[in-house]
Amino acid sequence: MNAQLRPLSLLCELTYRCNLQCPYCYNPLDLRAYRDELTTGQWSSVLQAAADLGVIQAHFSGGEPTLRPDLVALVEAAAACGLYTNLITQGTFLDDELLDRLVDGGLNHVQISIQAPQAPLADRIAGAIVHDKKADALRRVLTRDVALTLNCVLHRLNHDSIEEVIDYAQRLGIRRLELANVQFYGWAYRNRGALMPTLEQVRHGEDVVAAARERLRGSMEIVYVLPDYFGDFPKPCMNGWGRQFITVTPNGYALPCPAAAGITTLAFENVRDRALGEIWCDSASFVRYRGTDWMPEPCRSCERRELDWGGCRCQAYLITGDPGVTDPACSLSPDHAAIASLREETSGAEPVYRRA
Amino acid sequence: MKPTAYPRFGKGVKLRHEGNGSIMLLIPEGALVLNASAAAALELVDGTRPLAEIIAAVAEQFDVTADRAGEDLSELFERLEQRGLVQ
Repeated sequence: MNAQLRPLSLLCELTYRCNLQCPYCYNPLDLRAYRDELTTGQWSSVLQAAADLGVIQAHFSGGEPTLRPDLVALVEAAAACGLYTNLITQGTFLDDELLDRLVDGGLNHVQISIQAPQAPLADRIAGAIVHDKKADALRRVLTRDVALTLNCVLHRLNHDSIEEVIDYAQRLGIRRLELANVQFYGWAYRNRGALMPTLEQVRHGEDVVAAARERLRGSMEIVYVLPDYFGDFPKPCMNGWGRQFITVTPNGYALPCPAAAGITTLAFENVRDRALGEIWCDSASFVRYRGTDWMPEPCRSCERRELDWGGCRCQAYLITGDPGVTDPACSLSPDHAAIASLREETSGAEPVYRRA
Repeated sequence: MKPTAYPRFGKGVKLRHEGNGSIMLLIPEGALVLNASAAAALELVDGTRPLAEIIAAVAEQFDVTADRAGEDLSELFERLEQRGLVQ
């Protein structure tokens, strides 16, 4: 392995349990397979091992990470290793007491997601009556010494409300807003027919974001995650396989990408069986698509090969059955026609709600 | 940002010292790798020093004129302020 290669970011998926049922969730369909969760001690070891490898940020996510009773202890453990700590939550359990304990424990940043800017639609998407609770959590976080990002995943059911999401954020005094077009993995891939935005929605969204960025310059930063199936080039997924990111699943599997468990042609290793540093450096799964040597054409000779890193391996696998080909999202991919048909394969059917 | 302003870090922003002596600015969902003069300036950000004093200290440390340091650093602080990373 290249000695310079150092992971920068660790995503701790503490649990896949969640009290919401969002059909756009990227978690795997077989949620029951992940119930044998790592213990507090095992997670603490993972955090220390990650810090030793050079990781600078620990992200606590899920599922809903606040369902873990040891969340505060894990934030404290991460902070004690010198890691920057980020909690990715839907906020419904973030009461004053938990929030104070997290901030006292060294939490640096919270990302709270809403499903839509208005309660009826948001609650319909979440499959639970939770929207008003989230506004309370957002207000609470704003009064604490911790950074906040408001996140809203965009898809066909809420894309027309994009301006209202920005207004909602502005009314609350949010400094950082992430508008993330849905990415099609896990439950979202299963529900792609119901969630795929229309081309009109995507174009309108771009215009709204460009105007809002101009209008709100200096008062709100808007991060816009581009839609996957609508561009000419693929996203540089994870900034390259096994280059900067490690995800650890609730039951301890170390993955180069949060969606990688879906690639059944690779055998991933577990932090219960092997040290995280060894998995990062030497495991067949992390090495397999690292760098550019694995690339077939058209990536191999492409001048963008170290910009896109071949796109997303999980997406290549989902769409073509082979994780080792150019991401079909790339217009240069021989499989690109499949993306166009997925984009048009919209359905009026109700989405399937996430459930264990 | 005016030279008379007293910059301080926004929420969730902090410096990180690397083993090799380099310094990064950790920010919500990201990190900025700092050059030596930016790092020296941001190390002085604590809400008690005016920007002019920070610029003068960096100019002295790097043996450049205050005008030259001021040009580079004003732009840096402007950009950080726009993103809410420095207030």
